[in-house]
Amino acid sequence: MIEFKEISYEVVTVGEEFMSDDFLIKPEDVETFAFAVDDHDPWYFGDEPTPFGGKITHPVLLGNQALFMRHGKYIVPAGLHAKMQYEFIAPIRVGMRVRTRGKLIDKYEKRGRHYMVTEFATRDEETGKVLVRGQFTQMLFPKSGVHEDARKQ
Amino acid sequence: MPASSSQKIVMEVGSELPALKKTITQRQIDCYSGVRPKSIHTDVEWAKAKGFPAPLAQALMSTAYVSQMMVTWLGAGFIRGGKISASFIKPVIVGDTLTARAVIKSREEENGRPRVTVECWCENQHGVKTLVGSASGFADQLRT
Repeated sequence: MIEFKEISYEVVTVGEEFMSDDFLIKPEDVETFAFAVDDHDPWYFGDEPTPFGGKITHPVLLGNQALFMRHGKYIVPAGLHAKMQYEFIAPIRVGMRVRTRGKLIDKYEKRGRHYMVTEFATRDEETGKVLVRGQFTQMLFPKSGVHEDARKQ
Repeated sequence: MPASSSQKIVMEVGSELPALKKTITQRQIDCYSGVRPKSIHTDVEWAKAKGFPAPLAQALMSTAYVSQMMVTWLGAGFIRGGKISASFIKPVIVGDTLTARAVIKSREEENGRPRVTVECWCENQHGVKTLVGSASGFADQLRT
């Protein structure tokens, strides 16, 4: 049983680990993603042969699985994504069951704002093979609401 | 001048990749982020309460545009071995039109393969950069 706490700079700890739910990649997930980012590359729909022996998915398809890992432990009222690093290791395919694991590797304050840095790896659960890895930096909103200068953006 | 999508990209430092233009709708944001209350991406009132004029597109959507440019160009050399490093420097609001651009910055050998790196960015309809960063991949199996 997980006891969800509201996320804050004070409550997160460097070294703490995160894990997404597992996720079966379905054909409609690729269609939905393609619509969302307006990228209907024929490699993702079997309309053109690929060098991988069949259709693949957008390499960035699973970015949100990584970003939302912290939602498995915390209530996250709002946050802004500051930085993202991806390294694409192997093609992602429909039918894979995937899961992302990560670790908080840093937290810091800069110009009055709080940030957390998480490294992650997304694997094919069946083979254990890493598909994508990287790290991302998220800004934590203060409990009081919003950083004042967000209103000027 | 950026190359058009049907034009072969000259593999020289300083060459531009074909730019991508994307006007972002609320429905696309909904599909990307998943609709839920108390979300700055899909709940108008919540976005306003958090200081924004309208819902924000998830920053990660812009990395998908960079990825699209790189997959279209490098193909398998990006799918396996590609990298993106992006900083999100301004919010993207629903209805914004983003243009994703990239310029070849370097080419170097990595384990006997040519890794090319581009400087990339997205700018909105006002010419304001919203994403800045770099992307790279292997240029030995080009699609264009």
